Amino acid sequence: MAGKTVVKAPGAANATDETKASAVAASAVAAPIPGVKPKDQPRTMKEVREAREGKRASRAKPHENVLREGLRLERVADPAILVLMGATGDLAHRKVIPALYQLWRTNLLPHEFVLLAVGRREYDEETFRKEIHASLAQFSRVLPLDVAAWRSFAERICYQRLDFADPAGFDALVTRLDALDTERGTRGNRLFYLATQPSQFAEIVAQIGRVGLDHEHHDGGWRRIVIEKPFGRDLESAKRLNREVGKVFRESQVYRIDHYLGKETVRNLLVFRFGNGIFEPLWNRRYVDHVQITVAESLGIESRGAFYEETGASRDVLQNHLLQLVSLIAMEPPATFDADALRDEKVKVLRAIGLDPASAATDVVRGQYGPGWVAANKVVGYREEKDVDPTSETETYVAARLMIDDWRWSGVPFYVRTGKRLPKRATEIAIQYREVPHRLFRDAAVDPDPNLLVIRVQPDEGIMLRFGAKVPGLGMDVRSVTMDFTYGSAFNVDSPDAYETLILDALQGDASLFTRADEVEEAWSIVDPCIEAWSTEPAPDFPNYDAGTWGPAAADALLARDGRRWRRF
Amino acid sequence: MAINTPLKVGEPVLRWSARAHSIEEVENELSRIWAGHELAPTVNEPETRRISARTSVMNLIVIARRPEIAEHSAAAIQALTGRHPSRTMLIGSVDPDGPSWLDARVEAHCVLPREDAPETCSETIHITAGGESGRHLAAIVAPLIIHDLPVTVWWPGEVPFGSKPAQEVLGIADRLIVDGSTWSGDGLGQLTQLAGLLGSTRLVVSDFAIVRQSRWREAIASIFDDPDFLPYLRSLRRVAVTYATHDETGAPASTNLVKPVYHVGWLASRLGLTVVKPLSTVSGPSPSSRAGRAAASKTTMARGLVAQLSDGRGEVSVVIRPVLSTMPPGTTLRVELLAERRGSELRADVTAEAETVHVRVWQDGVEVLDRRFSAARRTEVDLLAEAIEASGRDPVGSGSLRAAAALVGRNEGA
Repeated sequence: MAGKTVVKAPGAANATDETKASAVAASAVAAPIPGVKPKDQPRTMKEVREAREGKRASRAKPHENVLREGLRLERVADPAILVLMGATGDLAHRKVIPALYQLWRTNLLPHEFVLLAVGRREYDEETFRKEIHASLAQFSRVLPLDVAAWRSFAERICYQRLDFADPAGFDALVTRLDALDTERGTRGNRLFYLATQPSQFAEIVAQIGRVGLDHEHHDGGWRRIVIEKPFGRDLESAKRLNREVGKVFRESQVYRIDHYLGKETVRNLLVFRFGNGIFEPLWNRRYVDHVQITVAESLGIESRGAFYEETGASRDVLQNHLLQLVSLIAMEPPATFDADALRDEKVKVLRAIGLDPASAATDVVRGQYGPGWVAANKVVGYREEKDVDPTSETETYVAARLMIDDWRWSGVPFYVRTGKRLPKRATEIAIQYREVPHRLFRDAAVDPDPNLLVIRVQPDEGIMLRFGAKVPGLGMDVRSVTMDFTYGSAFNVDSPDAYETLILDALQGDASLFTRADEVEEAWSIVDPCIEAWSTEPAPDFPNYDAGTWGPAAADALLARDGRRWRRF
Repeated sequence: MAINTPLKVGEPVLRWSARAHSIEEVENELSRIWAGHELAPTVNEPETRRISARTSVMNLIVIARRPEIAEHSAAAIQALTGRHPSRTMLIGSVDPDGPSWLDARVEAHCVLPREDAPETCSETIHITAGGESGRHLAAIVAPLIIHDLPVTVWWPGEVPFGSKPAQEVLGIADRLIVDGSTWSGDGLGQLTQLAGLLGSTRLVVSDFAIVRQSRWREAIASIFDDPDFLPYLRSLRRVAVTYATHDETGAPASTNLVKPVYHVGWLASRLGLTVVKPLSTVSGPSPSSRAGRAAASKTTMARGLVAQLSDGRGEVSVVIRPVLSTMPPGTTLRVELLAERRGSELRADVTAEAETVHVRVWQDGVEVLDRRFSAARRTEVDLLAEAIEASGRDPVGSGSLRAAAALVGRNEGA
């Protein structure tokens, strides 16, 4: 990978020009200098010494834009066409196009950039642009729209009608892309973004392969594909889809998007764990009693009844967002911050989670909400929602006790839960530390709670540490107090939306925050046994929790049998 | 005492104000702010979420030589309450020959980041010291610093670099923030003194004049993102910077030249250019002045400054020239680059208007790029925030400063 958006690790800002130059020079001794043609590599001892001394620095860096150092992006994305499949759909209008507009508005996209919107509907370009403008006026993160930025962005939006089942349409797409390359100077670089129904992924990928749009050019034209979740609906279908995608694209060209990984606080998890010295020594079975991860939503299924009936909480959240959070919390430190090193460690965690149908039956709880009250509003039960079977057995809640069978976490349960129509929206990771080994303050009126470290992902992003403190006075009472860091109070700045981060990463060829094929399959291999176990059980006693409560009683029992309880929000 | 001010999301309000006349009284007032029930956090009462959270990420010391500077700086800092909460001390000294006295106003400003979030509060201490006390600013500041947090000194206007009070204050600082574009005369003497600090102390230096130019740097760097133009970057032969002046003679000493010089300093430091001949005044009238404005005005405009840099293979000529303009004096109006490579020429012209930077590039006389960047000018609040956010050493900023000082070539000594 030639380069990427530079996220400086703490301390990296202290690196001086000199240290960087010597690092480049030192690497010249051991290995070829990236980006330098073989004929320009130092060969003789004199050349190697001069490279080390920085005398040949100008020869070592002819292909770097050194003026970019210290700017917001140390490398901008190459000129490119983003081919947005499903451009007339909800995801494109609500998320993808607003993210692109925001990137354009803040000068983070290359000048030679084209958004080729592809959809089945008949549009002329002007009508489509007007529709996009209306969507942006509703969904853009920053309003009102910047007139000048919109005008120049609109010039870069083109529309191509395409029926994904029509091979001739893909032939026409090739012609259009070639013409755009010539007209707009996009140099053959193309990012295909599949924002379509998941059932169309395989077909589209196959057509892209058939017309040769996956072929990367020797003169630098790259081809990448972004695929939205859900990636399969079980292990078998995920493997099948991976196979289909793998027939056309190399794994390094594939960017499977889980927008949770683009969230600022989730990315901060890596900095929190590996950029601070004090937490990592306490991040293991010796000190941690258990971990709780909650992804709670107060919303119901909105207008997505048909989709949710086929998905449920396990496929919608557990298989991706929740397991991603588990792997980020439990992974070992990667040797480097490159995409594969990071993903290798995450995969190891997923592989170490042992869940078979027998343990799934006891360690996983499912639920479905009935009518109730949420935020002072009366809401209907799941079975009364639009497009939902009145006898539906789809779970809107799932809680699980996961054990990670490795050296670091052996014996430490990870309790995870997610649900719809819970009392509030909250995503939090809680590391519950063990109690002190010896109760020194026996006379205290209240037993101090064990230490707790909470990482709030949303809302009110931040980190909270709970510890015991003496109550002022003559006695020796101990009470729990909290030390609370609110992200917004220390960095009250405009954070990019997850889609902005991820799309820019994909354009720059940085796959760190995207999921790899084996990662997706490992996650399914955890969820599949649950679904399999449920299919053999009698019909569940749904609904089993009222909207506006924290889930079914069985979820509480799941922890109670270990002598623990869910955190109170 | 506590002040009950209605809160609005995102708008800092004054929640505490008290007077003090000694450092001890200031310390007592600071303790009272957080001990009082009105502002103190409540523990274990999740239902009362709207509590005041004291947040500090640094100590910020503002040396305000005049009351109006203090008020102006306080307004900028207050706007940053939610973004960079700090313990801020605004210090001024008066009547140096009179008796020693100290007057302080201790305030807490709070901001509600969101409806459902706790307030975030930070402290501001306005201190005026009279008599001999005012000559020992470090002695006032040191006891009031929050332990273990970085100390940033914002010194608006001229910094008396060689003076004892300045040395004492900078001795306890981790970062110094200045605005070189406000210095008197051409500002270049102060610039070389500022650069001198880089070598002699561990102090990190941020100059608003450099921070302010980031939109220019983005625009200039963007030219060489194009792989076709990138090879020319190492073959630069001429850099010309045009700046605004209100002085019809265009005499270099009459206008602050810090910003134009920083442009060249940045390019020189990034490209590893060394100074062959430092800046010197060009004698004789400017051709453009002769042709145009000189006809209307009998005064002849000076031709500015020239210098020679080297990239090891060839020389790079530098021209910094004045143009009469209604823009504030010292404002950069245009940066022109000329590069030659294997008989081919690349010429770039970068200009800025109100909220836009315009880049045009010609390759062998043919226009090959015409791009406008929407890039808003930064307010003082933005500049302060950006200077503060640049944590740790800033190799680009310090490199630009060092190269600019080498280009000036004066030995002022810090």
